[in-house]
Amino acid sequence: MRATLAILRRELGGYLDSAVFWVALFLFVSLLHAVFFFIGIPVGEVRLPSFWAGRVASMDSAFAWLPLFYSLLAPALTMGSWASERRSGTDEILLTQPLRTRDAVLGKFLAAWVLLVFLTAVAVGPLAWVVSQLGPLDWGTVWGGLFGATMLAAVCVSVGLLTSSLVREDLVAFLLASVVLIGLWSLGFLVRLLPAPLAEAAWYASPALHFLESGARGVFDARDVVYHGLFLFAALILNTLLVGARRWRS
Amino acid sequence: MIRVESLTKSYGDQLAVDRLSFAVERGEVVGFLGPNGAGKSTTMKMLTGFLHPDRGEVEIAGVRVDPEDPETKRSVGYLPETTALYPRMRVADYLGFVARLRRADLVQPRQAIEKVIEECGLGGWEQKRIGHLSKGYRQRVGLAQALLADPPVLILDEPTSGLDPAEIHRMRMRIRELGRSKTVLLSTHVLSEIQEVCRRVIILANGRLVADGTPLSLGEAERPALQVTLSGGEGIEAALGGLAEVRTVRPRGRDDRGRVGFTLEVEDRYDAALAVVELAARQGWSLFELKHELPSLERIFLRHTESQAAARDGESE
Repeated sequence: MRATLAILRRELGGYLDSAVFWVALFLFVSLLHAVFFFIGIPVGEVRLPSFWAGRVASMDSAFAWLPLFYSLLAPALTMGSWASERRSGTDEILLTQPLRTRDAVLGKFLAAWVLLVFLTAVAVGPLAWVVSQLGPLDWGTVWGGLFGATMLAAVCVSVGLLTSSLVREDLVAFLLASVVLIGLWSLGFLVRLLPAPLAEAAWYASPALHFLESGARGVFDARDVVYHGLFLFAALILNTLLVGARRWRS
Repeated sequence: MIRVESLTKSYGDQLAVDRLSFAVERGEVVGFLGPNGAGKSTTMKMLTGFLHPDRGEVEIAGVRVDPEDPETKRSVGYLPETTALYPRMRVADYLGFVARLRRADLVQPRQAIEKVIEECGLGGWEQKRIGHLSKGYRQRVGLAQALLADPPVLILDEPTSGLDPAEIHRMRMRIRELGRSKTVLLSTHVLSEIQEVCRRVIILANGRLVADGTPLSLGEAERPALQVTLSGGEGIEAALGGLAEVRTVRPRGRDDRGRVGFTLEVEDRYDAALAVVELAARQGWSLFELKHELPSLERIFLRHTESQAAARDGESE
């Protein structure tokens, strides 16, 4: 636990010290505001107008954009987590300290997750405040949406960490994780077209679809918590095994 | 303090360490020697719990090292060959990070950090980013993190590689000083380093142990040699070669005053020395120099590693 906290603290310091984080913060906040106020959701099953066009005091379109943003943000935060340690060799001193591989995996996960949740709060908070000043905003749906976003963020970060542990180059880790996450998100467009069993499988495979079905609409569904929890658990275990397995080979 | 038993590790088809066994007692400073690819770094990675061995085991301070068991890695401080440290971190932050990882072994982390900063000559550099430091100072930070929790065993993989001569000297002095209170295993290419710092040397070639002993005891296994410098006309080489006590004569060249030097490989260095003196007196040569040539670590090293390479070539043919 102590080692996990030490690594969490180091990683957080590293993020705050890096340009990637501040660029991600700026882009995420400004782009989320732009799409919420001016674009809405122009494609897909449930289309939503932009805030200025629709004039409804709802945050639905902002939450609906989160899976796509997370598909880029989570990989941007996690791309170096293992890849750069491995490339530069810093993992050698790290893993010969008195700790388990899983302590390091957990520390790195928590750091990226905390930051992504923080980014979400910074981006969504001001939006919710503006909307609440202009109309009767249902705060329950905002909190429900944020809770769902927190779970989705955890899953996206765990996928990013996983790809980072597979390769040596940050950029490759970023692209790989983005492709996987955007792929899982875009299954939403295919669900209608697929035969029933495949559609069901696609739904089970995609955390983004779970979020869009409930969390993004402010609905709390205990099954989603279990689903995200299992997905996260599996990804972190796999991550630990992959990092541990390299210590048999490399 | 360190016990290695039938340690074996391969990378794919390549056998890196082959049934290696040795032990290092408390307070010994042992030099780990071998050509590139001999398996030194791989062995060290297994000693420190970075890599799992394929077979065999490592015991440090009476505990079997297991990469997934933190308790078994507490007795070791490790400076890897690459000295890869997080370049954007500041020296003090990095040592603080290691102190938090090593919290269980530190009663007063702050004092421990101050102590290693002082010991490793990092005073005044605490707020510098590691990436901005010279190689010598990065190596100091690497050593500082290894020493931070005051572990009884230090494993240093080529601690002086890439340093300038002054920095090398300082690092050697530091290691010698550390050897007073700790068990140190040190790998290097630089043979003079072993002679200066270590009382015992282990030579590896192709992942196998080929020699283990003090530099002196390893030298005794070598054939003795004499260096002579003479003048007195032609036929000296042939006459020296004709002595029963001399096995081979190797000319070392002639200086501008006509003195010629030879290295004689002999059976017994005292008998041979006497024979050379008598021969010179009989022939009327002037004898300027006659001395025993101590077998250098280079010779010991080359003999062991070359015979190993030859054996391997023989096997593969």
